[in-house]
Amino acid sequence: MRRLSLVALATIAGLVGCGGHEARTLKMRTALDEGQPKAAISSINDEIDVKSDKDLPADIQGDNALLVLDRASIQQSLAQFPNSQRDFEAADKAIDLLDLSRNASDTIGQYIFSDSAGRYKAPPYEKLLINTLNMINYLERGDLSGARVESRRLSVMQRYVVDNLGQKDNPVIGLGGFLAGLTYEKSGQPDEALRFYDDALAFQGFSSLRTPTRTLMQSASYKSPRLNTLAAEAPSRPVEQTGEAEIILVVGYGRVPHKIANRIPIGLALTYFSSAINPHDLEAANKLAVEGAAIWINYPTLAPGQGGYAIPVASVDGRSVGLEEAVDVEKQVRAEWHSIEGRVAASAITRALARVGVGEGVKTVAGRDSTVGFIAAIGSMIALTAADTPDTRSWETLPARVAVTRVRVPAGKHTVRLDARGVSRTAEVNLEKGGWSVVSLMALR
Amino acid sequence: MMSIRSVMAGLASVVALGAFTPACGGKEYVRDSHDPSIDNAAMSTGLDKDDIQRMLSENLNNLRNAPIMDLWRTHRGADTVAVFPFQNETSEHIESQLTTILSEAETWLVDSGVVTMISRERQNQMIAEVEGHRNAVFNPAHVAQYGRQLGAKYFVTGKVSTSDERTDDARRVQYFFYMQVIEVETSAIRWQHKAYITKMVK
Repeated sequence: MRRLSLVALATIAGLVGCGGHEARTLKMRTALDEGQPKAAISSINDEIDVKSDKDLPADIQGDNALLVLDRASIQQSLAQFPNSQRDFEAADKAIDLLDLSRNASDTIGQYIFSDSAGRYKAPPYEKLLINTLNMINYLERGDLSGARVESRRLSVMQRYVVDNLGQKDNPVIGLGGFLAGLTYEKSGQPDEALRFYDDALAFQGFSSLRTPTRTLMQSASYKSPRLNTLAAEAPSRPVEQTGEAEIILVVGYGRVPHKIANRIPIGLALTYFSSAINPHDLEAANKLAVEGAAIWINYPTLAPGQGGYAIPVASVDGRSVGLEEAVDVEKQVRAEWHSIEGRVAASAITRALARVGVGEGVKTVAGRDSTVGFIAAIGSMIALTAADTPDTRSWETLPARVAVTRVRVPAGKHTVRLDARGVSRTAEVNLEKGGWSVVSLMALR
Repeated sequence: MMSIRSVMAGLASVVALGAFTPACGGKEYVRDSHDPSIDNAAMSTGLDKDDIQRMLSENLNNLRNAPIMDLWRTHRGADTVAVFPFQNETSEHIESQLTTILSEAETWLVDSGVVTMISRERQNQMIAEVEGHRNAVFNPAHVAQYGRQLGAKYFVTGKVSTSDERTDDARRVQYFFYMQVIEVETSAIRWQHKAYITKMVK
């Protein structure tokens, strides 16, 4: 038994010193704050131990998948679309695998040592945004075949989020519907396009989508009550007939709040989260708090978001174009966190109680009155407290908000300019009659 | 939520199992000729060599015995055939695998010796002529035009589609691989067959 305790301590000691995901991404966030996306990518490359933006880590099975996801977003903000595509796809598969994998040691590790010892479970908005944002990469490159693959993957995830997780009103579905509908519309599949537009119109206003949807309905058979209402308004002629072309603008700006480690005394934690703890543990925790035991609770919380109230600006050939909000991602992040925060804090309290239990166990094994037993008990509690790293993992480079619009322009050359949060992109597009182009800006400051 | 008692029991299990002991040793590279079993394991829900071989084998074995093949045999190689890109209608990025399928099918037809195959190098030129040089991308809606431009009497094409489902702990992708032989002049389907493959992560 003594040997077992020593093995336990040695194992725990191996976990000490881990700063968690938040520490791993500090350089990346700092570089993004300073408007240095290339430096941000460089810091991720160091973390995942690769030499260039084009390399994937040797092991993408664990938390590296999240870092690759972060890099995908930043590559997209630098208009490095092929690299971003590859990163999104690699991370998509790895996160899917993590999400579907379960075993007993995950749960045990999660509850005893640290939330971050378990496998990463992506929240629904992250699952939906992987395919949604990667669709932008394909659309930017005019690759409709690749965009359709992403829209099909999105569709599978949407069904899962709506049917299995019961999130019928997740607004990310609206942005996904806008882009997937566009993909199918430009692929010459109007019925499939209308199905997605119908989903999109259920969420935000998407006023710039109303005329194209009505126009598309003239060549499709798909109907719905929402589309029937829309059909009452006058349609316009398709761009193929008018000789015009279309430019679709997508602007993501700011960054969602990332998770930070929080450490508070057990008494304060009980004030906030006692309702989420089971009665047996609550009794033990209250006893410790009353005794004045110096027990600290480690749990993650959300940092402030960035850029939520910024106003993006767009122009085509110097003429201002109005953008409309497609999704408030930060609001989704906060809502999701609010729904699980109590459970996360409760598990942190349970872990703290377990640490006390382990200390008592070590003292008993070594001898209640022995100095060695006392030191071993304190040592084990210190080691467990240090190892208890709150789970600060999340996709940190998601834009806080995304705005979109689509405009008709005469066929020919056009200059598009997008600005948000001090980041700008100017793109020259040359459109044939009936042609289209997607121009995006991801201002992740 | 876990109680302290179950958490303590869990700690004993973790220590006993050595769950946090890091794995020792580096990566090992293995060649399929030394260990043929490495081709057997499914590594993802995408298509791998085994899937491609099984799907092609199913379809080409059917084509071998189809009436169109008998017709080609009687014409002793006089019929010209073009192979056009297979369409990806799946939820996986399998473009490179589709290119492999295309090449394998083309090689099989060349080896059969019953038709004259039209080079795919020339196809790209014809596609550019039909679509216009500014947008020389293959458009499946224009395959009959490509065939006429190439002087092909028949063309072989196909598509792969999927039914993709997900639950809390599994993702299943069912592939449906269709191949067709179409007569350019009439657009009549002279042969068609399908093969199925299912991949799953659970």
